[in-house]
Amino acid sequence: MKSNLASAACLTGLVMIMGPLLVHPGAAGSLITGTVKASGLSTNAGAVVYLQQAPGTFPPSTETMDQKKMQFIPHVMAVVAGSTVKFLNSDPTPHNVFSPDNEKYNLGTWPQGQSKDYVFSKCTKFPCAYTQLCRVHPEMEGFIVVLQNRYFGVSDREGKFEIKDVPPGSYTVGVWHPKLKGQPKPVVVEAGKSAVVDFTLAR
Amino acid sequence: MADLLGFGGRAALRALALTLIGVCAWDVGTASAIPAFARKYATSCQTCHSIFPKLNAFGVAFRLSGYRMPKETEEMVKEKPVSLGAPAYKKLWPNAVWPGEISSAVPLALNVKFAYVNTSALNGDGSTATSNHDFQFPQELNMFAAGTLGDHISYLAEVTFVENPDTSVTVAIEHANLAFDSPFGPENLLHIRIGKMMPNVVDGFQEMQIMTGAGIDSLFAYNPIGPNGGTGLAGDASPSPIALPVSVRGIEGYGIIKHRAMWVAGVANGISPGTNGRFDGNNAKDVYARFDYKLGGMGLDGDTGGQKEIPAQNWRDDSLRVGAFVYRGDGSHINFPFTLADGSAITIQDTHFLRTGLYASLYVRDLNVIAAYVRGNDTLSQFDEAAVPLAVVDATYHAWFTEADYVFYPWLHGAFRYETVSNGDPGEPSLRTAVFNASALIRANVKAIVEYRRDLRHGENHSLNGVMRFAF
Repeated sequence: MKSNLASAACLTGLVMIMGPLLVHPGAAGSLITGTVKASGLSTNAGAVVYLQQAPGTFPPSTETMDQKKMQFIPHVMAVVAGSTVKFLNSDPTPHNVFSPDNEKYNLGTWPQGQSKDYVFSKCTKFPCAYTQLCRVHPEMEGFIVVLQNRYFGVSDREGKFEIKDVPPGSYTVGVWHPKLKGQPKPVVVEAGKSAVVDFTLAR
Repeated sequence: MADLLGFGGRAALRALALTLIGVCAWDVGTASAIPAFARKYATSCQTCHSIFPKLNAFGVAFRLSGYRMPKETEEMVKEKPVSLGAPAYKKLWPNAVWPGEISSAVPLALNVKFAYVNTSALNGDGSTATSNHDFQFPQELNMFAAGTLGDHISYLAEVTFVENPDTSVTVAIEHANLAFDSPFGPENLLHIRIGKMMPNVVDGFQEMQIMTGAGIDSLFAYNPIGPNGGTGLAGDASPSPIALPVSVRGIEGYGIIKHRAMWVAGVANGISPGTNGRFDGNNAKDVYARFDYKLGGMGLDGDTGGQKEIPAQNWRDDSLRVGAFVYRGDGSHINFPFTLADGSAITIQDTHFLRTGLYASLYVRDLNVIAAYVRGNDTLSQFDEAAVPLAVVDATYHAWFTEADYVFYPWLHGAFRYETVSNGDPGEPSLRTAVFNASALIRANVKAIVEYRRDLRHGENHSLNGVMRFAF
């Protein structure tokens, strides 16, 4: 499951208009929002904020990470363990995908329009961060963060994030960033209310 | 030049040389204002310079930190660099090239100097030669490239173009060096520079940290070589004797300890050029070292933790910095030709030379007083034309200068400098020179200077120059 702030905004609108008529049990205001401040960096984007542990099982999904205009898009993606990521090449030049992290993999090199899949099923200690690199273009860099559950969000340029549909309960919210570190924070989510958690990240 | 004429006309020629070198010394460049950094950080020249090229305390820290802002963060760099490899490639080394960066724009900058020159010089026959109202527009152009290559590498290159009166152009590589900045250990504890560079053994009393434009000849242009020791300035002798080097080809390590102390150690070619296309005059290497400590003001690495109050004026830095340095050279097998008063030709080798010195810089509000002292000792071995040893002379000279720079307004500064050399040859009187300077910033990167320089022993030797400098 990929974080999608656009749909999150839409969901917020639905909550406001339809309120208690929503069927989804976690949608009645069970929202965690906040801001991430990336100290010293020119952007606050790219921080993954997530619930460290949530009860239940979470089905994997299939997501796409594109290689377009010589960049991994999105630059940072979070997925539930067991999910499949389809690495698409949208550039006219061949691209390669490999990761030096965790179990390490090299998917090879392929031309425009083709893609290769990788299943992130080997993570045993969450979160597992995989740096995505391209041997053909050493400056390209992306990140995939594998998590235990689907309750996560990725910060935008202003540092804002949303975690939607969180069931009521007490959790620990963690944060992962490609360059910086932040301390986990406890949060209590009550039905029909939003919780706010802010982070300041530093080296 | 004096060497070829024997002792008879040397005194007057020495005075002439003092003036001529004084004029030429405008051309002895060191790293100057570098607008490439203004573009990179989107900041004014005055962030680092009180009046360019004179560095303020922040500029000193920027230079010593490897052309980086103290505690630099990514958001400080407004001109985003181009990646030469994602940071994650560090994990793959040695199976991948270590990642680096280059600036997105070519980090070039130009510094242009116009001079309106008026000089008077005492000739060997006692007459006076004057040259007035000479528009040296331009006198020189310096092209700089400087910046960082990722986290731990920085570089500086400077090429100077001087247009000569006969329309020929002299091109010189003033600097070309690469530095490995804090490759390991605490930040700024170790920097390693390699290339042609201003050695940090003379940091603090050359162009970047004094207001006056003329070079400090008593320290840098003195010729310590003569049958009984040095008698005057070196001029354009080749090979070039060393008093203190303006630049060296070598390898240097330096670092900052606990914000306040600086160490320097280096090895350099020494007297040059050599024969057969060599830059070095012999196989021996010169070595140098220095240790400084700064009390008060901003730390040498830009640390402000020790300051009770950080002054709003960028030139203020109430502090005292003191240093001691040593430079040791070996000029064996490098022959300096010399003609004695009786017409006989000899050669002299400066087989061992040692420079020991002290440096101090005091800031009190709008006043900066800088001083340096050098004791030079030379073992001068004389040989006849058949290379038969004649004599060995142990000569010692003493040179010092002091300069007071004062800020009247942020755009208007004044300076006075006094310098002197007690010759190595005890039979020769001391050289004494005074320099007055007024510098005005028309813009942060456009400067007008009026500078008067006078030989205090021979008043016929003087110069009055108007200079316009601009950097972009």
